[in-house]
Amino acid sequence: MNRIVRDIAIGVLVVAVLAAVPHLIPSKAFQDFVIRCSSMALFATSLNLLVGYTGLSSFGHGLFFGLGTYSFALLMQKTGISLPVAFIATLLITTVTAIAVGAICIRLRLIYFAFVTLAMQMLMHSVIISWVGLTGGDQGLQGGIPRRVVAGIDLGNQYNLYIFAAVVLVIGLLMMRHIVNTSFGTSLRMIRDNETRAAFLGIVVWRVKLTVFVLSAVFASVGGIVMSLFVSGAYPELINWPISGDAIFAIVMGGVGSFLGPTVGTMILLLLNDVVTRQTEYYGLALGIIILAFALGLRRGLLDFITERLGGRPAGGIS
Amino acid sequence: MNQDKTTRRAVLTGAAAVLATPHIAGAQAKAVRIGMQATFSGPLAQSGITHRNAIEMEVERINATGGMAGRPIEMVYRDSKSQPQEAARVARELINSDGCEMLFDAESSAGSFAVQEVVRDLGVLCIHSSSETSSLTADPKYRVATAFRSGRQGIHDAIVGGAYAAKVAEARKLTKWATCSPDYAYGRDTTAQYLEYLKHFKPDIEVISQAWPKLGQPDFTEVITKLIQAKPQAMYTALYGGDLTAFINQGNIYALFSAMQVFSVNLADYTALTAIKNLPPGIATGNRYVVTCPDTAANREWGEAYRKRYNEYPTNWSWESSTGMRFYEGAAKKAGSTDPKKLAEALRGLKIDCPFGVDGTVTMRAEDQTVVGYAIGWGTTLTKPPYVADVKPADWGTIFELETEWKKRNGFI
Repeated sequence: MNRIVRDIAIGVLVVAVLAAVPHLIPSKAFQDFVIRCSSMALFATSLNLLVGYTGLSSFGHGLFFGLGTYSFALLMQKTGISLPVAFIATLLITTVTAIAVGAICIRLRLIYFAFVTLAMQMLMHSVIISWVGLTGGDQGLQGGIPRRVVAGIDLGNQYNLYIFAAVVLVIGLLMMRHIVNTSFGTSLRMIRDNETRAAFLGIVVWRVKLTVFVLSAVFASVGGIVMSLFVSGAYPELINWPISGDAIFAIVMGGVGSFLGPTVGTMILLLLNDVVTRQTEYYGLALGIIILAFALGLRRGLLDFITERLGGRPAGGIS
Repeated sequence: MNQDKTTRRAVLTGAAAVLATPHIAGAQAKAVRIGMQATFSGPLAQSGITHRNAIEMEVERINATGGMAGRPIEMVYRDSKSQPQEAARVARELINSDGCEMLFDAESSAGSFAVQEVVRDLGVLCIHSSSETSSLTADPKYRVATAFRSGRQGIHDAIVGGAYAAKVAEARKLTKWATCSPDYAYGRDTTAQYLEYLKHFKPDIEVISQAWPKLGQPDFTEVITKLIQAKPQAMYTALYGGDLTAFINQGNIYALFSAMQVFSVNLADYTALTAIKNLPPGIATGNRYVVTCPDTAANREWGEAYRKRYNEYPTNWSWESSTGMRFYEGAAKKAGSTDPKKLAEALRGLKIDCPFGVDGTVTMRAEDQTVVGYAIGWGTTLTKPPYVADVKPADWGTIFELETEWKKRNGFI
């Protein structure tokens, strides 16, 4: 209980600090950074529920991120419902899809799981590209998202969206943190470390795997909603396979064994992107070198590296 | 005493002058920053690079002749990596952090729509120079008061292509047609629209075979044999870039181009023309950019100046961006200001001299804020430079008439 109170207090503090920042440093680029960071960090952390905590390496997690952007943007554009309703409806759509996709995928292990999830994402990408009448095909969903209002607050305003994104990020992280700290979270780690033993101890492995698959999909979808609000639309690039790669990069760079690793990794990745893009057009080259440095130099994500250096064991409990 | 007074006055005047000068000079020299995002990396990097090449030439010329209302232009370029979400971010950054007063968007399709939403949210002035998607400016749902387009449009190409093909088909009795276009929205839409206008001008044609190769397909053998076996008299293709050159190189092996009259909307761009090993003569092609369309001294001069400077010919993207910069220049001249609101006002209906205009001018049509009057035409290929000859410029009267019909049909007006 104490831990939960502490986590919530830290969360509130983070939101309070972020809310104050624009009054001290009126940098709109910083606000944009936080909005994108919120979206991608939720996405990467949700993927880490699978990769880091359950040992399920999904290559197609972008499916749910993209599904979040498209479902939300389409609901806002094509129906007259309000933003909170569209938000909830998007999570429901994601849940149903994740149950269907998960039911197929979690039966597989290792590389087979990875590739079938990737195949599922490519399938959804193809549907979106081909269904021009609904999604705008490769042009993306055009025309912007109307009525971006929650409880009288217009999210079309950058500062409001910034606060909204920060709050959503903190709530999302707190919820995921809570999930991994419950007995359910322990089951996840047991499955990761030894699936057979976990089964013998009475854990219904498929049920736990499917549950975490659906939960992580829902959080990825929330990340997608934030992205959709940021770009005011939805584009096929947001559901294409490289977006899954971005989340994997974020986890690798931040640390698979630390709860905040993917968030730190996202920050590194976005910061790199923003700084390098300002300087050169050889972004890919710069990113490649830095990832190599992480892989060969640190041999783990930044946060895992620091935790170990400080003598601790990463919270995710790599065994 | 007198002398002292004079001296003091002189000193004061001098001091005042010294104090005032930097201020005036500063005011004169404060550059207009224009932010441009485009694809500068990855497989489509050539688009961003050739957009920028043309812009650099225009900026130098404009700055040498007094800039925009006395202020020199300073461009800030950013790579969007072909990702719409990155295009949106970069566009916001250019305005919010880099002090750009207006945007120049050289994204293709999806990216330009992402930028359009940024333009809508920030209310910033923007010229789109790359997107050919007609709905960007034609559909009132997507239109934004401060967004303009300086590039060609799909609907114009479809009308002109259909009209030209119908004339050739009439003269040579080509009634059996085939098509071969990339298998995604662009390929399918462009082909459908082209056939629609071909049938509008010549109703008795028959489409007997349609091939839809995948984007980036390395081997076109099955497509080529399918087309040859169908024995059409004519074929239309919307393939472009690497796919088009691969298709032509492989089609040559099967003598595809002597078996039927081919109409290729995207061939007449030097990047494609020079990448093909043996360019077959007699392929009908729409102009993307060639120095022979419009066949004027101004266009040839511009094309040669570009080639001299960059050691390659300009692309379709180059003329579109060059035109966009000329519009900014013209608008500043007309408004006598660089205030974005006044510029937007000046741009509506603005007619400027331009080497790419069919009559030496192009107009930013006020009603939908898109460029019209640019040279658009079809010619046939030659094996050697200038590669395309006998370009028949299109009649803008017909284009306007059919475009209006198309807009009405789609509920745009």
